[in-house]
Amino acid sequence: MLSLIVFLPIIAGLIIVALPASQKQLIRLVTLLAAVAQGVVAVLIWQGYDPSIAGITAAADGSLLGAFQFVERMNWITLDLGSLGTLNIEYFLGVDGLSITMVLLTALISIIGVLSSWPIKKQVKGYFILYNLLSTAMMGCFVALDFFLFYVFWELMLLPMYFLIGIWGGPNREYAAIKFFLYTLFGSVFMLLVMIGLYFSVIDPATGQNTFSLVAMADQANYIPGSIFGPESVTWRYAAFIVLFIGFAIKVPMFPFHTWLPDAHVEAPTPISVILAGVLLKLGTYGMMRINFPLFPEVFQASLYVIGVLGAINIIYGAFCALAQLDLKKMVAYSSISHMGYVLLGLAAANSEGMTGALYQMFNHGTITAMLFLLVGVIYDRAHTRDIEKFGGLATYMPVYAGLVTVAWFASLGLPGLSGFISEAFVFVGAFSSEVTRNIAIVSVLGIVFGAAYLLWSLQRMFLGKRRPDAVYELHTGPDGQERIHFHDWKGKLDLDGRELAMLVPLTIIIIVLGVYPMPVMGLMTSSINKLVEVLSPVLMTAVH
Amino acid sequence: MHSFIQLSILVLLLPLLSFVLLIFFNRRLPRGGDFIGIGLLGATFSIAAYLFWQVVVVAYDPAFRIAWDFTWIDFGNVPGVGPLEIKMGIMIDNLTVIMLAMVTLISLLVHIYSTGYMHGETYYGRFFAYLGIFTFSMLGIVLSDNLFAIYIFWELVGLSSYLLIGFYFHKDSAADAQKKAFLTNRVGDIGMWLGILILYSQFHTFGYEEIFQHIKAGEFHMSQAWLTAAGILLFMGCVGKSAQFPLHVWLPDAMEGPTPVSALIHAATMVAAGVYFVGRIFPILTPDALMVIAFVGAFTAFMAATIAITQHDIKRVLAYSTVSQLGYMVLGLGVGAYSAGLFHLLTHAFFKACLFLGSGAIIHAMHHEQDMRWMGGLWKKMPWTFATFTIATLALAGLPLTSGFMSKDAILAGALGYAEVEGGGLFYLIPVLGFFSAMLTAFYMGRQIWLVFFGQSRTHLKPADPHHHDEHGHEGHHEVHEVAWNMRLPLVVLATLSVFAVYSPDPLDGAKGWFMHLVQTPQTAVLATTSHDAPAGDHAILHDPASPTVAGAHHAGAAGLLAEAEVHADVHHVTDAVHGADDAHHGPTFDDPRQAAIAHAAHANHYNAITYSTIMVASGITLALIFYVFGFISPEKTAQRIRPLYLYSFNKWYWDEIYNATFIRGSLLLARIFSWFDSNIIDGVVNGVGALVRRLGRMSGNIDRYIVDGAVNFTAFFVQSSGAILKKAQTGKVQTYVVMVLLAVTAYVIYYILQLQP
Repeated sequence: MLSLIVFLPIIAGLIIVALPASQKQLIRLVTLLAAVAQGVVAVLIWQGYDPSIAGITAAADGSLLGAFQFVERMNWITLDLGSLGTLNIEYFLGVDGLSITMVLLTALISIIGVLSSWPIKKQVKGYFILYNLLSTAMMGCFVALDFFLFYVFWELMLLPMYFLIGIWGGPNREYAAIKFFLYTLFGSVFMLLVMIGLYFSVIDPATGQNTFSLVAMADQANYIPGSIFGPESVTWRYAAFIVLFIGFAIKVPMFPFHTWLPDAHVEAPTPISVILAGVLLKLGTYGMMRINFPLFPEVFQASLYVIGVLGAINIIYGAFCALAQLDLKKMVAYSSISHMGYVLLGLAAANSEGMTGALYQMFNHGTITAMLFLLVGVIYDRAHTRDIEKFGGLATYMPVYAGLVTVAWFASLGLPGLSGFISEAFVFVGAFSSEVTRNIAIVSVLGIVFGAAYLLWSLQRMFLGKRRPDAVYELHTGPDGQERIHFHDWKGKLDLDGRELAMLVPLTIIIIVLGVYPMPVMGLMTSSINKLVEVLSPVLMTAVH
Repeated sequence: MHSFIQLSILVLLLPLLSFVLLIFFNRRLPRGGDFIGIGLLGATFSIAAYLFWQVVVVAYDPAFRIAWDFTWIDFGNVPGVGPLEIKMGIMIDNLTVIMLAMVTLISLLVHIYSTGYMHGETYYGRFFAYLGIFTFSMLGIVLSDNLFAIYIFWELVGLSSYLLIGFYFHKDSAADAQKKAFLTNRVGDIGMWLGILILYSQFHTFGYEEIFQHIKAGEFHMSQAWLTAAGILLFMGCVGKSAQFPLHVWLPDAMEGPTPVSALIHAATMVAAGVYFVGRIFPILTPDALMVIAFVGAFTAFMAATIAITQHDIKRVLAYSTVSQLGYMVLGLGVGAYSAGLFHLLTHAFFKACLFLGSGAIIHAMHHEQDMRWMGGLWKKMPWTFATFTIATLALAGLPLTSGFMSKDAILAGALGYAEVEGGGLFYLIPVLGFFSAMLTAFYMGRQIWLVFFGQSRTHLKPADPHHHDEHGHEGHHEVHEVAWNMRLPLVVLATLSVFAVYSPDPLDGAKGWFMHLVQTPQTAVLATTSHDAPAGDHAILHDPASPTVAGAHHAGAAGLLAEAEVHADVHHVTDAVHGADDAHHGPTFDDPRQAAIAHAAHANHYNAITYSTIMVASGITLALIFYVFGFISPEKTAQRIRPLYLYSFNKWYWDEIYNATFIRGSLLLARIFSWFDSNIIDGVVNGVGALVRRLGRMSGNIDRYIVDGAVNFTAFFVQSSGAILKKAQTGKVQTYVVMVLLAVTAYVIYYILQLQP
């Protein structure tokens, strides 16, 4: 199952390689088919998933099958390193509550991304090959339980992403692509060193051999005393934690490593922005929850305050930066920075409410921000500008578009009844309940006000009032006396067309349903989160050491 | 599930159904689908009326309460907490049922009224959809049994308010007003949210009843100051929603919305939700929190009344009047006059809705003229509107035989009693501001009635506005007619509900009526003040039951206060004897001596309050008569004489300007600074590092080219050139070699000797 969901897109990619570049529609359809098939598999996995099984580490009796589901495990690469021993790299996939949430999100966003890629005209064949490669790499990251395999997928994402921004992007695309590439590479190089160190510090209790298994690494009992990351090696463990944290924080992106994001978004084509914001950012926080924190729980406990403060900075700083933007897409990019801050804050709470809120926020931010970027794309396609001050009064002329923008904007500002509210609410509930992060939570609620401020202000400037004198659209009065507007050289439908509705309406429904009744997704994660909190809790750590 | 619960779920969901149907299909339905909205609201009101009949008339039990809940989120077995579930549910008591009936009735009347007022609007159908989602959210606030649910609906009424204020979104003023309303409310909401978080962090539940029980059992483990803070923070939600100082600025601007909306949302129901909420959380409010609430309410009542006296716009006067009356309600709850405050909520809802709908009728008849300076003489032309408007005005001003008289006096009596128990001094400011506001209320309403209905029509005095295009194509404003039945009916119903007899047989005492019998002040749950009489077992966790004063001392200066309160209580037991028999059915008996003392003092001050307030109201009316009817003093000249004061009032104490200059400008400046910091400093560092790496690259390139390559080339060069030099030494002559050897040996010997020197 999991292999299927990971490699379906790459199969589609291989088929496309064989197709002639002129068969554009066929290339698109193959990709769409693969994405939909991926979605079907995701739903099957969702149906077959037992949410009462916690995951995170092996079950109490040491069995792996009692903890993870849909496990696929085999030896992949075995290298004899002579005196250093052997290098065992496994092909090891499996899901628990953390990953299944992200698998569902990735499958959903991949389909939306294909639909959104439909109007891409330049080098269609190359684009969709890279798109499928990216899709496989993302999905692989979320289901890999072998650190090396995870790392392979992690690095594999960089390549298509670099080209997708660098070739199909806006005017300043090369700068943005290189910035994205170097930033992420910088983070992952050090991750590699830690990964190798971990390999030599951890043994798999089942085989007695060194292992890259993240499941084994998440149990502190499996660390070899005296090894580089062994229990008493305080300095090295702190260093490793910090290095991994920076590596993942760059992806989140966390202040002060965030400036690649606005540039990447502004230059990236709409579908790539959707994927970037919808899925890729979550890999950062997912990596923290899967790798960074459970492998070094005592360092995590010591760093709660710092992580919380960084989260608060993201929330408030991101909101203020968004308030100052005149480019709509840049504003949405900064809103992502602000909203990912809630995830960090929830993680810093280190309790079930906060962490559930954080993981649920990852899912909801995925759907909501995807919708925001799609909506930005809609107006950019028509007007070829994203300048917030070049419109005015659009609600009168594009009522359906304005309606969906209102839903998405209000979802983003955390209106109850829409999914983002619940996750933000529980992030605050958790952060306030923890005495470490209580003061940070008190400061962070300012984000609720300023989040509303930039969203409502942009809504007003673009959609309400009347046409601005320097607006990019022209106003006509039709023969029936009705006012109509016209975008220069836009031939399509003025208000949303079928393809755009096919992307936006499902997202809207998901956002509303999960805002009213969160259990379909939240129910998947609670037992895993409770287990994670336990693994990270100081009580348990003192028991081990 | 109790049948009342089932019915209340129906009450909640029918307006939502109306919203869903109308938002999608209003363009395809005849008449924009208004009949769906009215039909569903009619059904909703019928069910609410049935519940009202069953609970208020048939049961007539102050202790009536049924509840139902379900698990909304299941967190499983949470480490450190145990099984954790977040519940959602419905709680129905007398107050809930009364609110349900009130909200659905006014909503239904506004629906009917809007078929006339909104006739011919572009987004006519959408308007009814918005009314539907508003009614749904408001009923959610009323029915919720927990803080999380009320916060959800709290924000949803904010959304409906946002949508309806901005109904004419193509007008910049409306778009500004809707944004201002939402953001101002959010400021209040973050306070409310923090208050909720404080309580949740202690008890891991959002339910009112559970929280009260935990607090009563002394399980609030943070300091008492946090409990006070929780109360004040929760009250911040009310400050935003009920437009209390300092967050009152959005409500007058909200009048940009269509007038039926002003009546429903911004006068009768939503803005009163804040007061309702304070009523719901009343048991956890500490004496300090209540004091803050009382002062905020009193100040708001006074400040808004001083602004209302100088406004020209008919709706703005009413808006500031609403702020002022909400201040009364908040004041009432703050001083512990719980049932009085909520009673005023109910009476105010009807007479203020009547006033707004009446003003809407006038505006409609005057073709969108809102300025009272250009009205006048309307009483003959609009007799129905005049009659109903006048009844509601009398109620608002608080004249005897009206509903407003009873509820306002109950609040003022409570304020007097509170000041007395709290030991006078500064606390008397609360009733004094209250009475003074009563005078101002009578004055500005007298002024409004006179300007609008009496004298000669002044439409022709209006200066011609070159930019003004009469949207309706009427020539001039001469033809003013009474509005049609669909707008008249709501006025008549609401005016009827402003008469005393609906609430109490005794026009002078609301306490003899059904409302104050059914909605009684709840016992406080706050530990420090319940120590004396509550069963000792309750505090076994925290306190030694043998020494109750230890518990009392938890509250700052509690011992002294309690002693004093008891003295007062004793005094009032004596006074009560004078009042005699009617005390028997008055209110509950309180375990908490402070609460008991205040209740007794309030009761004792009942007739004082009536006397003072009647004097104040009479003087207010007299002043209005002097200025506007008899013309003894010219309002214009007076305004000139006290110009700074006049301008201060006219410009609403300059709050908008102050906030604009500080918070709004400050935020935008900060946004620009952060954005600059981001693109120059942080990205500057990033690009700098990039440039540095490039330069290092170039440098290492240079090192490569000049030093490494240079070294290689130098070696070659050295070998080559030294070879060339040495080549010349290869003369092939033995003598030369000998000389060279000699030179070398001599040099070595000299060196050796030099080495030997010490």
